[in-house]
Amino acid sequence: MAKYLKKIYIGLIILFLYLPIGVLIVSSFNNTKVLGKWGGFTLDWYKNLFENEAILNSLKNTLLIAVLAATISTVLGVLGCVAISKMKRSTKSVINGVTNIPMLNAEIVTGLAFMLLFIGIGMKLTFNTLLIAHITFCLPYVVLSVMPKIEQSDRSMYEAARDLGATPLQAFFKITLPEIMPGVLSGFVMAFTMSIDDFVITYFTRGSGIDTLSTKIYTEVKKGIKPEMYALSTLLFVTVFILMILANRAPSEKREKKPMSRKKRIFTFAASGVVAVLIIIAFIFSMKDNSPTSNKELYVYNWGEYIDPEVIKMFEEETGYKVYYEEFETNEDMYTIVDRGARIYDVICPSDYMIAKMIENGLLAEINYENIPNISYIGEEYMELSKGFDPENKYSVPYCYGTVGIMYNTTMVDDVVDSWDILFDEKYAGNILMQASVRDAFCVALSELGYSINSLNEDEIKEATELLIKQKPLVQAYVVDQVRDKMIDNRAAIGVIYSGEAEYMREENPDLEYVVPKEGTNFWVDSWVIPSNAENKEAAEEWINFMCRPEIALLNFEYILYASPNTGVKELIEDEELLNSQALYPSDEVLARCEVYEYLGEDGDAMYDKYWTEVGAASSELADEEEEDTGMGRMFVILNIVGIVLVLVLLIVWNIREGIKERKRK
Amino acid sequence: MSRKRLKNTLVAGPYLVWIIGFIVIPLMFVLYYGLTDGDGKFTLDNVRAISEPIYYEALFLSLDLALVCTIICFLLAFPLALILRNMKITNKGFIVFLFILPMWMNFLLRTYAWQAILDINGVLDTFLGFFGIEGFSIINTPAAIVLGMVYDFLPFMVLPIYNTMIKIDDNVINAARDLGASYSQTLMKIILPLSMPGIVSGVIMVFVPSLTTFAISDILGGGKMLLIGNIIESKVKRAGNMNLGAGLSLILMIFIVVNMLFQARYSKGEDKSSLI
Amino acid sequence: MSNKLIDLVNISKSYDNELILDDLNLYIRENEFLTLLGPSGCGKTTTLRLIGGFESPDQGKIIFDGQDITKLPPHKRTLNTVFQKYALFTHMTIAENIAFGLKIKKKSKAYIDDKIKYALKLVNLDGYENRMADQLSGGQQQRIAIARAIVNEPKVLLLDEPLGALDLKLRQDMQYELIRLKNELGITFIYVTHDQEEALTMSDTIVVMNQGYIQQIGTPENIYNEPENAFVADFIGDSNIIDGVMIEDKVVEILGTKFACVDEGFGNNTPVDVVIRPEDVELVSPQEGIIEGVVSHLIFKGVHYEMEVQAHGYEWLVQSTKLVPVGTKVGIKVDPFNIQIMNKPASEDEEAVMLDE
Repeated sequence: MAKYLKKIYIGLIILFLYLPIGVLIVSSFNNTKVLGKWGGFTLDWYKNLFENEAILNSLKNTLLIAVLAATISTVLGVLGCVAISKMKRSTKSVINGVTNIPMLNAEIVTGLAFMLLFIGIGMKLTFNTLLIAHITFCLPYVVLSVMPKIEQSDRSMYEAARDLGATPLQAFFKITLPEIMPGVLSGFVMAFTMSIDDFVITYFTRGSGIDTLSTKIYTEVKKGIKPEMYALSTLLFVTVFILMILANRAPSEKREKKPMSRKKRIFTFAASGVVAVLIIIAFIFSMKDNSPTSNKELYVYNWGEYIDPEVIKMFEEETGYKVYYEEFETNEDMYTIVDRGARIYDVICPSDYMIAKMIENGLLAEINYENIPNISYIGEEYMELSKGFDPENKYSVPYCYGTVGIMYNTTMVDDVVDSWDILFDEKYAGNILMQASVRDAFCVALSELGYSINSLNEDEIKEATELLIKQKPLVQAYVVDQVRDKMIDNRAAIGVIYSGEAEYMREENPDLEYVVPKEGTNFWVDSWVIPSNAENKEAAEEWINFMCRPEIALLNFEYILYASPNTGVKELIEDEELLNSQALYPSDEVLARCEVYEYLGEDGDAMYDKYWTEVGAASSELADEEEEDTGMGRMFVILNIVGIVLVLVLLIVWNIREGIKERKRK
Repeated sequence: MSRKRLKNTLVAGPYLVWIIGFIVIPLMFVLYYGLTDGDGKFTLDNVRAISEPIYYEALFLSLDLALVCTIICFLLAFPLALILRNMKITNKGFIVFLFILPMWMNFLLRTYAWQAILDINGVLDTFLGFFGIEGFSIINTPAAIVLGMVYDFLPFMVLPIYNTMIKIDDNVINAARDLGASYSQTLMKIILPLSMPGIVSGVIMVFVPSLTTFAISDILGGGKMLLIGNIIESKVKRAGNMNLGAGLSLILMIFIVVNMLFQARYSKGEDKSSLI
Repeated sequence: MSNKLIDLVNISKSYDNELILDDLNLYIRENEFLTLLGPSGCGKTTTLRLIGGFESPDQGKIIFDGQDITKLPPHKRTLNTVFQKYALFTHMTIAENIAFGLKIKKKSKAYIDDKIKYALKLVNLDGYENRMADQLSGGQQQRIAIARAIVNEPKVLLLDEPLGALDLKLRQDMQYELIRLKNELGITFIYVTHDQEEALTMSDTIVVMNQGYIQQIGTPENIYNEPENAFVADFIGDSNIIDGVMIEDKVVEILGTKFACVDEGFGNNTPVDVVIRPEDVELVSPQEGIIEGVVSHLIFKGVHYEMEVQAHGYEWLVQSTKLVPVGTKVGIKVDPFNIQIMNKPASEDEEAVMLDE
């Protein structure tokens, strides 16, 4: 009986560990983009995977970095270990302590430390900085595997080799190294695995145009992961699985009766890992080389899912440029990166208010419109509108525009939806999706309160903050592009979203409806700009000109379904329904209710950020009474402080006691 | 003799330069940024920021969730390691393999899969729906975050404990039984203390990452709960306030230093190497 | 020395379909020093573990002091074990180790302190209370393991090759030490070893085991002088084991020569094994001997010389205090009383079954 219980327990834990993996593997054969919904069997994702350069490139980066980092850290670590093992005990323990820091420290602190170091000494974030970071956090794993082996190794063997006439170097390579080999190999494999799996440190230190699988996935998480990613992960996982099974099988077939010794175990583990790595290296080299044939390069930084990938290819073919295409998620995110010069881009597509901020801070270069003849296709009214943030039309070329509004599911909402009020209705608690960006969230609250969405009046903002905090318990989640997938899949009833998403969503789920609330909202424009530190300005202008070409703009329009300011596009659209869509082409009456975001200035930004953090930190529990809430809050704080103090005191007392005990024994 | 030592230092050279340049100095930069303002003037404001409710509440929430996660991991891992130890599996590498293997599926993807499992109309919801259980969903709650942490960090608790446990001689356990200890007494007085080094490494390897995670709370918390990791990440990556980010990191490092002291005393060289 | 304290009845035990013990019967008397002796894999340790309660038999019963304890878990049995590699608790001090069993039994602190002092004195390690277990040498750890067991006042002390890890000198010292302990405590010792010298030195009774069967039970003298089969003869001390034929009662033919002996009842012209201890072979002048041979090897062993004598196609092992140089022609003579005759088994298994009954 107890035996069965034990087996069931192990089974449950294994199920727990492998359930998500099963879900991902199933999803790689699932004929829908929505994770967790079955839509029929398909192998398309596997087919698409080998055509998806972005994913293949990130795979290549991941593997290349892992191989390089593991190799370099192994060489460095073995050298270090050999030398350190001969040092004084006290020196040794200091060095070991330092080595272990990246392993014991929080990854976010390590990542931040690297970022500050590189920025501080004026190093640009490139592939190399990423590699340095990976080598560093791999080092402790190598040292931990190698050091014990060196300390166990029999010194007299080395001496015997010297006695028989070997030079120190020969003795090292012929005697010491083979003896510590199991440790070296397992260190290498550990380093390799840790490098592959790392996200946080990579996220803080990666350079421009360099995505690893982790960072690629992280950006994709926000807008719905491409199923090709599941296909790739499945392939990786299954490969490793088969290799490991083979490696683990081999000894058990010999029917060894004795349990495997630790040494042997490590060796088997390491050997199978090394085989896996070798195969991966072979794979990297067999992969078709994606590096540019010419040195004409262009670094593009755009919103996620904001272009037809075909268009990038067409541009590359036509001009011969190699395009490095990267995506950002919020304007603020993009600004930080560009402002710090942490990564260099040639052409970026920010929103209105952010363009104003970038102009004010001198981050943008004037565009030479002579190089962009296609600007004639951009509607005059949009150039006029742009003067709101680019007063002299010197820095930007409009790409898309639209409104921020409410998407709702007609089967889940009975009320008439024409106002922001619905987002504060307790009836829909847990069914509301809010935008996760500062400006959009405050746009909702400020409009609801009847204030300007560009308010700089702290009282008004405070009021809006309170409203957002009050709303928080009703909100299912704060997301960006995920609103789309969640609402298509009926996972929420109401969501705040950009008008451009509306048409795509209605195609996928006809129950959805888009509304511009009567209180007014934000009217936004996203435009192409060229940062002042761009290294390929002419290429950037060529890119912008290409984007303004009506056929290209149409391709993009059909792909992303955001309204285009391109007059040529409107003529080319055949679908009547699209032309009449309020979401795409809002009437003048609607436009009259809208405001464009203005740049708030540094202090304004800081104020919004401060209050937004307050919203983020607020409790999402529904509080019945204000009093009780603060009482609970105080309890929470006091309990925590008491807890921390208690734990610290206990630890110190116990530490001292152990110390005394130890001294007594000696 | 001194030539020998010089030679040794030369061999160690690259390694020493590396760890000083890329471990020690970056931490100095954190210290520098944490103690200065945007213009490079000395200030304690970034560290003192922790006295503001939004920051200390996030820190406390992180500490609480990390604590709960660590306790759950321990409660799951200890019996598991014990059962596995008693099974006397000949090929111990297989156990390691079983717990390391999931790492080859990117951890963000696995966490994201949990979102799909736990979401409204998700896998679990649909499955329970067949049994008439409706509206069971923990997505976007602290429970979901803890589940994600437990999921991601459980192997880091299981493996070190398992690896110390298999080193315990069977006869030591037999001796305790022989001297009159019941099974539970043996467990508490012999097996538990002898597994302590593994438990300590496990606790640290689970507690530190769960205290500082931001990706898991992002994916499973629906952006509704800010952990201290989320705050540092958003200050640095979104608001561009490196100084505040560094200041808060310094606060975090206090907890990590305490952890390290704790480990130095107890686990005597057992650490992540005990994963294998 | 009369009561049966422990009685093993029809015990069988197998692991992974491999039979370790087959229908074993054995009793142990009160105050006896009983040794289970045999090569590794003979089932001696399994027998001990069954008594200790760390294994349970597939079949059969274990009676202790008139009670069936077959299913009793180890912590409820009033006997204690000294393990092969001591199995001290490394996370505790020596005092804590010794106090372990007593604390479990909730004895008073004063009692426990007294006992620790007493036990440490008994094993000649007073003053070691606060050391950690891994700070002691092997011999010291061994004594602590014994001290830890005996403070619980067990009726029986089980010792599983306790001296195996010690060096020769220490092992000999500990043998006397153990005899002294046993006499002072007046309890039953069940001792497992593969070292015949240890067994002969300390035991009241020796149980020789092989392949899961008991080969012979007897006093050390009995076992040594009158081995019941070739295995026992070979295992205990050095022997000349020679094929022979029992011509008739009291006459055995060895290597084509008739020898006088004292055994009877084997029938006429029966093939048998003949055992002659090397110290019982007398070397005399060729004329005086029953058979003739030449000394081929000679080694000085301290107390005696060991020689090999080629005679009639057999290499005789001879121990003698008198030196006979290599190449000397000698005669071999054996006192009829020192010739041990044993039935030849058809197979090893049959041999064992036969003797077990």
